[in-house]
Amino acid sequence: MPPTNYYGTGLEQGYWGLMIVTYPYISGLVAGSFVVATLSQLFGRKRLAPIAPLAAILSFALLLSAPLTIWGDARQPSRVYELLTRMHVPYSPMALFLLIWIAYVILMLVELYAVFRAGNAERAVWQSRSLKGKISSILTLGVRNTDAASLRRDERIVRWTAGIGILLAFLFHGYIGFIFGSMKARALWSTPLMPVLFIVSAIVSGIALVQLVYLAVSKWYGWRIDRGIVAELNAWLIGTILLDLYLDVVDLVTSGVRGYAPEETFEWFNRLYFHGPLVWTYFGLQLGIGAVIPLIALMTRRSRLSIVNSAIMAFFVLVGVYAMRWNVVAGGQMASKVTNDVVSYPIIGTGYDSIQTVIGVFAVALLLFLFFMWGAPWRTGLEQPSEGTGLEQPGAGLEQPSEGAGGSSGREQPLVPPPLVTEMSNEALATPSGALPNEVTPSFLELQSLYRPSITTTQTQRGRS
Amino acid sequence: MPINREAVSRRSFLGMLSATAAAVGGSISLLGSTTAKAVRVVARPSVAQMGRLLSYYKTKPRWASWLVPELNVNDGWQRWMRTILNSKSLPIVHDNFSRIGTTIRQTHHWVMVIDERRCVGCQACVVACKDENNVPVGVYRTWVDVVEIGQMVPDSNGAIVTDHGRFTNNIKRSSMPLICNHCDHPPCVEVCPVKATFKRADGIVMIDYNLCIGCGYCIQACPYNARFFNPVQQTADKCTFCAHRVDRGLLPACVTSCPTHARVFGDKNDPTSEVSKLLSTVPTTVLKEDLGTHPQVFYINREQEVYDENSIKNTVYPYTANLDSTEYATLSGNAPLPGDTGGQR
Repeated sequence: MPPTNYYGTGLEQGYWGLMIVTYPYISGLVAGSFVVATLSQLFGRKRLAPIAPLAAILSFALLLSAPLTIWGDARQPSRVYELLTRMHVPYSPMALFLLIWIAYVILMLVELYAVFRAGNAERAVWQSRSLKGKISSILTLGVRNTDAASLRRDERIVRWTAGIGILLAFLFHGYIGFIFGSMKARALWSTPLMPVLFIVSAIVSGIALVQLVYLAVSKWYGWRIDRGIVAELNAWLIGTILLDLYLDVVDLVTSGVRGYAPEETFEWFNRLYFHGPLVWTYFGLQLGIGAVIPLIALMTRRSRLSIVNSAIMAFFVLVGVYAMRWNVVAGGQMASKVTNDVVSYPIIGTGYDSIQTVIGVFAVALLLFLFFMWGAPWRTGLEQPSEGTGLEQPGAGLEQPSEGAGGSSGREQPLVPPPLVTEMSNEALATPSGALPNEVTPSFLELQSLYRPSITTTQTQRGRS
Repeated sequence: MPINREAVSRRSFLGMLSATAAAVGGSISLLGSTTAKAVRVVARPSVAQMGRLLSYYKTKPRWASWLVPELNVNDGWQRWMRTILNSKSLPIVHDNFSRIGTTIRQTHHWVMVIDERRCVGCQACVVACKDENNVPVGVYRTWVDVVEIGQMVPDSNGAIVTDHGRFTNNIKRSSMPLICNHCDHPPCVEVCPVKATFKRADGIVMIDYNLCIGCGYCIQACPYNARFFNPVQQTADKCTFCAHRVDRGLLPACVTSCPTHARVFGDKNDPTSEVSKLLSTVPTTVLKEDLGTHPQVFYINREQEVYDENSIKNTVYPYTANLDSTEYATLSGNAPLPGDTGGQR
């Protein structure tokens, strides 16, 4: 790699740096984790219902930190308001960004309100003296009832926002793929496959991230990990990896074979991905670690239930998808437009478009995510103490109903809400604050379990001691 | 002259003085001994004023010894859309470019014809453009790719005699001036998210630097690598066909400075202009025609090898070549170059 002290003096350079590599990655994670949340909200995968709130706040945290990348890449960041005042819609795909982002933020606010309203209502009542209780009481926006009708209305709002949100998520990430795909000046970017490639790998990365976050959070709090959720997420991961691999192979065959590709496309694809600086990131990271190895490692049902395997494969997938963004963005710019030389594309440690700024953006996303984890009542269905040492028997998840949550995905029951006061003692009802020990105060879990049969608790089944 | 108590202005005083001097001089000339000269008093700054001016300019920021232009200062240049960019207030478009010539009346259509039979690769146009437009070090609005292909071939009857034998010169050197093509369907204008770049009704594609947010989309979208990031302004920049000269009846700086008349600039709508005559009589080609950008810079006798063999290995003038390339690094790679900013862009 040439020294960087004279970078920027040639006629061709890499104009879109690491921030523009990271931006499709983050927006892909936004779209992907949103899709995981909608799997239970819209597509009826009730087994994944406990992680839907977690996926939703993960998506929201990443969504709020996504514009930092492109804002940090613009050379005149103080003028980004012009995207609103002078937007060149619909001719410039980049001009749509701010509109889509604002619409998506509003939609996420509505959806998060509906997802967490019941939990906030409960927390506002039972923990009304604490800060969290006060925040929750604001977040309910005054609607405090947790009866069946309001819960049904919440679910309806969630279904609608999930449906529209899927379209917006596709638009949010699709326009980025379209920016690259519509660039007729760069042979490596100009392909109709580009938007589809980006969307599918986005969903892959989102599933992997939710898997990793679920495992990490459960391990951190010492909760019991539901193998059913792990296995189902792995199943979805395999399905989308297959689709992603198919598109990658189509891209490889149509661009990397001399007989099928135009000269410029083939020459640069061959020079960069087959012989040049991107061999290892393409075959090793994007295709190998990111697609083929997780596919093989998660092939059997038994391997899909293993926690360590799932975590490692999820991490591999995340690395592989970042490598895909790198290959597309950096590789496309390494292909010279007007000469025969490979444009050098240095990775800078600190400064503009550097690794430091990328880490910074992820740090902001992490900070937001931790703040949402602190403030939002997302633990429904996840907060289960581990049994024993936590080393589960393999195979004890899918076929028979497990001793915990998720075992009733096949059990269809009509939603008949029992009266609220059946299972609670009068003392419990009479106590106003959350200062009492948990044995007396019914947890939100118990409340929820009365109305959502899919969520069962070890406490209610085995009794609190 | 009426004598009154009003203050006599310097101008009228000088007028009186010069009239008197002319009269005196005229009367002396009648004697035939001296010729009359008009007396001119020019206001010059004093030494102290010059010192203050210099220390004022010393406080101004500079980039590689170039004064950084202050774009937001209220000094009259803030109306530069009226003075420089579009002094004739021509209609501008950001999309739907077929309007120009149909629904938008087009008076002139500025094009350039580059005759590669005449270009010798002297790089005078590059220097003139840099001088005229204050282009910072390391970036170019126009450049000439001079490519040398071939080798000396050992030949027993060769004309070149060395200690190692006789050789025949089998080297071909081609030069190609490159410039923004001011396309009729410019992809760079269409993709600007804030409509900072525009196409004037007379065909010239320009950028309003006060609006550009520096996203780099237009630079990526140009198929000819004609756009660049101006490191001083931190916005996108490109050739403007010297619109400030063209609007006043002059030719662009590169055309004026070309010693061999390889660059011809003119109005395609004018049938008597030289470009019209060239376009109608001589076969011309454009660059990357299959992309559908309809470039308005036409090449006579374009050498395809210059485009195909354009690599640092074959380049004669490497200062405009693709120096940020792995090929350059393998060739030499360690020479500090102008524009060395120490890694900070």
